[in-house]
Amino acid sequence: MYLIRPAIFSDLTGIERLLDETEARVTTLPKDRDQLSERIAESKDSFDNASDSEKPSSYLFVMENTGTGELYGTSGIDSEAGNGYPFFNYRLDKIVHASHHLNISSKVSVLFLSHELTGKTLLRSFSISPSLHDTEYFDLLSRARLMFMATQPDKFHQEIIVEIQGIFDDKGNCPFWDAVGRKFFDLDFPTVDYYCSMKSKTFMSELIPQHPVYVPLLPAEAAENIGRNHEAANRICQLLYKEGFYQSKFIDPFDGGPVLKGEIQYTQTYRNIRYKKAYPAEISNGMRYLISNRSHEDFRCVVGTLVEGIGDSVRIPPDVAEALNVEKGDSIAFSLL
Amino acid sequence: MYIRPIQKEDLDSLYQLAKNSGVGVTSLPDSKQKMEAKLSQAVASFNKSIPESERIYLFALVEPASQKIAGICALEASIGHEDIWYNYHVGKTVHSSREISVHKITETLYLSNDLTGCSEIATLFLMPDYRKDQNGQLLSRSRYMFLAEFQELFNEQIIAEMRGYSDDNGRSPFWDSLGKHFFHMEFSDADYLTGLGNKVFIAELMPKFPIYVPMLSPAAQASIGKVHPQTEPALAMLKSEGFEPNNYIDIFDGGPTVSVKVKNIRAVRESEIYNVTRSEEAPATDLTDKYGLLLVSNRKFDDFRVLLANKSALNGNSIVLTPEQTEQLQLNEGDTVRAVSLRP
Repeated sequence: MYLIRPAIFSDLTGIERLLDETEARVTTLPKDRDQLSERIAESKDSFDNASDSEKPSSYLFVMENTGTGELYGTSGIDSEAGNGYPFFNYRLDKIVHASHHLNISSKVSVLFLSHELTGKTLLRSFSISPSLHDTEYFDLLSRARLMFMATQPDKFHQEIIVEIQGIFDDKGNCPFWDAVGRKFFDLDFPTVDYYCSMKSKTFMSELIPQHPVYVPLLPAEAAENIGRNHEAANRICQLLYKEGFYQSKFIDPFDGGPVLKGEIQYTQTYRNIRYKKAYPAEISNGMRYLISNRSHEDFRCVVGTLVEGIGDSVRIPPDVAEALNVEKGDSIAFSLL
Repeated sequence: MYIRPIQKEDLDSLYQLAKNSGVGVTSLPDSKQKMEAKLSQAVASFNKSIPESERIYLFALVEPASQKIAGICALEASIGHEDIWYNYHVGKTVHSSREISVHKITETLYLSNDLTGCSEIATLFLMPDYRKDQNGQLLSRSRYMFLAEFQELFNEQIIAEMRGYSDDNGRSPFWDSLGKHFFHMEFSDADYLTGLGNKVFIAELMPKFPIYVPMLSPAAQASIGKVHPQTEPALAMLKSEGFEPNNYIDIFDGGPTVSVKVKNIRAVRESEIYNVTRSEEAPATDLTDKYGLLLVSNRKFDDFRVLLANKSALNGNSIVLTPEQTEQLQLNEGDTVRAVSLRP
């Protein structure tokens, strides 16, 4: 069984192995042990102090095979995008250049630097073992975060954003970066990507061009890549669109990838959540559900089979109960997969 | 040859001149109606019947025998009053991060109206047949004699806009990389509209946010502040009078603006007043003696005249002129002239 739970220090090597094997870049998870360890510490603090802390929280989950103890994925949430610092994006907007006198009207796309998404709920750090990429556990790993938010909805900003990887090739060439950021950072894309995960984000505010960027001045390839996702992100995009997310006007300032936006209460997962008392028992057939306990500190979520029924308790398979750490009569949450 | 203010009767000659000037000399409209308006503004300027800031002084280079107009030039008292005056200011943006050891200076174009109110060395056009015998020099530099005499009618700062670089086919790399994206129009068309007096309409369509130079094509970057090959001599002449590029460029073709304080113009600073002696014996003007020539002006406002004479005509604080020259300068008994070496 695959279980979503908070990351702990002993997951360190497991996460490192996982990051080595996933191709997609996960800027928010550094491939450096000290930094990674710091991330886990932050996450642990967030889980432990969730109720009384005013500070931004940063949660990191892992997906564990309960049989072998091996890790198969990571996913994370920041309660406030930027973690107290500015969160940078470009907003793609239009300016009309028109002259009645000359009978000319042309609509020009312009990128405006924006901090507007600072403080929104940010879904991040998603990485999954390629072996599970096309399974229901892909959904589990991503959507468990919405189940988690349901445990303490007040802790999160109603609006959720997700930065989707933009387009770059195997050699790390990123046309958008080369046309925009590189001219000011003097760094190639892999290097800046590395800095993003390793260094503080101060360099970002120091170097990013503050003036709006006229899209028509960019090379065609860079302009076309604005708001387009890397094909490795197709699956996550599909999943998020199904959840009710939509493509916003914001893009990643580095690779031009899209920022998807949604609202917690309108996501499929959140809207369909039901709460009932657990009744561990064998189940012969039913539907596949995301099932979680209601703990914030020791949150757990799995995929399992249920029959929803009409009473205030619901049968759950005993192995699910065990994985979730719930006993008969404990409240659980579930939402259709 | 001599210089005089433009007159009402010059309309037809002026119109012919404009038709000859072609793409790039945007200040000469080739529509008769616009030309007429420009002419009456000039006439009113010499009449002092319009406010100082609205005056545009147009001068004609005249061939004495035929009374034909061989060229014109202009001085604008104050730019950007009726229309908005736009330039890009070529500035810098510095991005620096100690954390990752990056320090980067980026040239940046800022749309500006900074030069509003300056005076301008404006239009100059010389008919091809007359591009010889120091005519270009006389035509261009005669304006400094007017400035020297009537400084109070001009701004302290005077500028000249230089025609920017374009290739043999009339393509401007700067326009192609910037303006064109906002107009979907060829440079020659935009230039034509500008000549018709639509410059401000076009300017209104230009990008208002600063432009990072590295985002322009390499050819466009190279043409920032670069003049058209045919304009090199004009630029050299302005530089010899003390004009310097001032980091403002034309928003269409990226051509440079040069500027100087009026009082620091070489011809203004060095010109002096001389008493006139009229004599048949006065030396004839030798146009082949490039460095032996003088600009001589009659110091009059509404009948301003300038011509070339030989330096050997000077004697202390007097100058000896032929009856023909005094005639062309419309000098009366006891009048003084202002003179300075034609070239530095």
